Amino acid sequence: MKNNTERKGLVINILSLISFVILWHILVLLAREQIFNIPFMKMKDLPTPLETWYALVGSMFTHTYGPGFTYGIFDHIKASLVRVVQGGVLAFIIGVPVGIGIGYSRLIHNILNPIIEIVRNMPPMAWIPLAIFILVTGGSIFIVFIGVVFPIILNTIYGVRSTDARIIDAARTLGASEAQIVAKVLIPSAFPSIIAGLRIGFGVGWMAIVAAEMVIQSPVGLGYFIWNMGDLGRYAEMVAGMIVIGVVGYIMNISILLVQKRFVKWVD
Amino acid sequence: MGRLVLKGVSRKFNGYLAVSDVNLEVADGEFVCLLGPSGCGKTTLLRMAAGLDAPTEGELFLDDKKIEGVNKEVGFVFQEYVLFPWRTAKGNIEFGPEMKGVQKDERERISQHYIDLVGLKGFENHYPHELSGGMKQRVGIARAYANTPKLLLMDEPFGALDAQTRNLMQGELLRIWEKEHISALFVTHSVDEAVYLADRVVVLSAGPGAVKEIFDVNIPRPRVRTSPEANALRNEILKCLGAEIQRAAGSEREIHR
Amino acid sequence: MNNISKTLIVVIVTALFAGCIEQQKTPDQPINLVKMSGQDMIQRLGTGEIAGFIGWEPYPAIAITKGYGKPLFYSADIWKGHPCCVVAYDYHWYNNTRNADDILNRMALVQLKSVEYINNAKESGSPDHADLINYSMAFGGMTNSSAAELSLKDVQFVYSPNIPGTETFISKIMDFKIFDSNKWNQSGYKNASDYANHLITNRYVDWAVKNRENNLSSIALKETVTIRYGYLLNDIHELPFYVGWQKGWFRAVGINITMAPGTPFENGAFEMQKGFKTNSVDIGSLGIPPVIIHRINSNDFSVDDARVGVISGMNNEGSIIVVAGNITSLADLKGKTVGYPGPGTIQHVLFLMAADNAGLKVSY
Repeated sequence: MKNNTERKGLVINILSLISFVILWHILVLLAREQIFNIPFMKMKDLPTPLETWYALVGSMFTHTYGPGFTYGIFDHIKASLVRVVQGGVLAFIIGVPVGIGIGYSRLIHNILNPIIEIVRNMPPMAWIPLAIFILVTGGSIFIVFIGVVFPIILNTIYGVRSTDARIIDAARTLGASEAQIVAKVLIPSAFPSIIAGLRIGFGVGWMAIVAAEMVIQSPVGLGYFIWNMGDLGRYAEMVAGMIVIGVVGYIMNISILLVQKRFVKWVD
Repeated sequence: MGRLVLKGVSRKFNGYLAVSDVNLEVADGEFVCLLGPSGCGKTTLLRMAAGLDAPTEGELFLDDKKIEGVNKEVGFVFQEYVLFPWRTAKGNIEFGPEMKGVQKDERERISQHYIDLVGLKGFENHYPHELSGGMKQRVGIARAYANTPKLLLMDEPFGALDAQTRNLMQGELLRIWEKEHISALFVTHSVDEAVYLADRVVVLSAGPGAVKEIFDVNIPRPRVRTSPEANALRNEILKCLGAEIQRAAGSEREIHR
Repeated sequence: MNNISKTLIVVIVTALFAGCIEQQKTPDQPINLVKMSGQDMIQRLGTGEIAGFIGWEPYPAIAITKGYGKPLFYSADIWKGHPCCVVAYDYHWYNNTRNADDILNRMALVQLKSVEYINNAKESGSPDHADLINYSMAFGGMTNSSAAELSLKDVQFVYSPNIPGTETFISKIMDFKIFDSNKWNQSGYKNASDYANHLITNRYVDWAVKNRENNLSSIALKETVTIRYGYLLNDIHELPFYVGWQKGWFRAVGINITMAPGTPFENGAFEMQKGFKTNSVDIGSLGIPPVIIHRINSNDFSVDDARVGVISGMNNEGSIIVVAGNITSLADLKGKTVGYPGPGTIQHVLFLMAADNAGLKVSY
């Protein structure tokens, strides 16, 4: 029974994707034949799905034309992912202790909260100009860090705060010291929330890296790739790059969900 | 050992008197039930005995030692189990010894002992969400015991269970308690439960909570719930409690008027 | 969490960091071209973030004057007399403007006059020299007159379009696979020469040469027309346009210049895509490679929206590879980062050609 509904759902998923691609194709063709165009859009400039596919296949691997050496999509994915992971790990290392501190101690909360409340409302992209001037290197990693650290801090605070007060009482009567309460109760109790923060953070970080790579340029990275292709008027490659960004972001989200399922067995 | 003494204990919350001048003693190895209408401060009394709350007036002693700060010599059993959801049954039971720095082998031995005692064999590696209510409370009791407390504090531990499981668990609790004999202070609002379990039943009055009457239960264990002595005592307690409940309800009506 | 999961986390994190370190090693150590604005090129060369840059004047002159770097190659060293910026018009505008040919004739004439003026004024003894330096500083965004002097030195201002040079560019761009092959097939051009001859016409410059002695007002359009003009940010190559504008010569021939939306553009690729393609630029100046590339790649051939025609040259040469003090050859740039204005710009193609000559690889 359940299997059947699942299968049905999958069929609908696939049909929906196929219809979207067909709709895309038709809209581009209609616009190119000057039969119909979506107002205020230049649909005719969009590559068709097939052109996009060829562009994707064509730019999958490294190419050498004369002196020119162009990185393949895989190099770009790797470069962007590495930046996101570096920024994300840094954000995790800093964000979790800060979040636990704020969640646990009123004093730390009062000290840090005003700063965090203001800074977290500055979108990662707003930091790009500053990052260009302040940082000698690692600007895009810094932008990712900004994107990831606040969801982690906020979720950690939430996780710590939403720990059942009676669980802490129980731990106290069982002889736990304050340090043990933090290490053995608050952190494990907040763990699912921290992972959720990590997941949200990586989503934000992924968007931020692509934006950052468009401005803080380096030779490789997906943001750089789509911007470069746009500059060259290679719209099919650009759209292919956009799709890759979406797919990689999706896979990243799914992977963190899997990690969460693996490590947090105790949630229903 | 495990003698709990309450001397003139009062507790005010924001000017509202929740517990008023309670004098009570739980003798070493004695099983005392606190019985009373809701809002009579039963839980507050337990929390004070555990050192999780402090009296506004009066003092509490465990074995002549004044209770100040968290009392690590008690085992607390909660109504909603309050297990550590990220730990398995075994992990929950080992929590107390682990905090004390007991070595791994010794912890294993302790948890194995209590898993056997409370009848959790085969469920050691289950997480709390995988266990039924009765099983969870077995873990709760084992966890409290594993910390080798002098006094067991139980706050309506079977309140969330269905009637059948509750009867079963009462029997189980007595079985365990008779094996590992320590003093117990047990909060309930079920007269039946109190008469079945306790050596003494303390009826509390409501608003503010104060000791109204103390009944000795001189029925030898194992008790039969429907025996004439049990019935008689139950009626007596119910009468005493009934007036209290009426009073509590009356004041509630007054508030709502 | 048990120990296995802790170990797993450590392994994953270590693997990811190992991946980061491995990332640093790139095959064959190409020179990495990274797009940036001219101001960034100067600043980052100063801080040592980049080992060099290839830019249009005045950025090299400013960087050299500030002592941030030294010239490694003038673009003349890479290719003597190569074409650079041109004046181009939008086909859409042309088809919808009754007297477009008359207007373009006069645009070419002002270009001719401005170039002649600049070439005279470049001589330090010329009475107009001080004025020219002021124009350069204003248009090039310079505060230092010696930078302005320097920036004018390696630029050859011209009015004639360079068809053979454009052919060479087209074949280089084909060799470097910058064209979208699909679009190139749609365009229908047989080869580089065919394309160059479709792109460029000499007739407006011919008219201008014929009328060079005439008083401007005597050949003015009967009715003043407004032209939305696009040009590049601080590009000294386009100084002839600025001089003509400031001297009032466009107005004198009946052309009212307004800045097209988006002007000044960050690079020629932007001017093609945001300006000409969207029909918001009527006439503009930009590098010939963006024109060559985007008339193919960005074009929607059903409406030919990225089609532009070149009416005159602007300048030849005038770009420099500026490098930090410790760099003595192009090979020294291997594995290092070099700033450039963006893919498909003249500087991009020139740098590729330089690397080709030196047998080096360039990633972009």
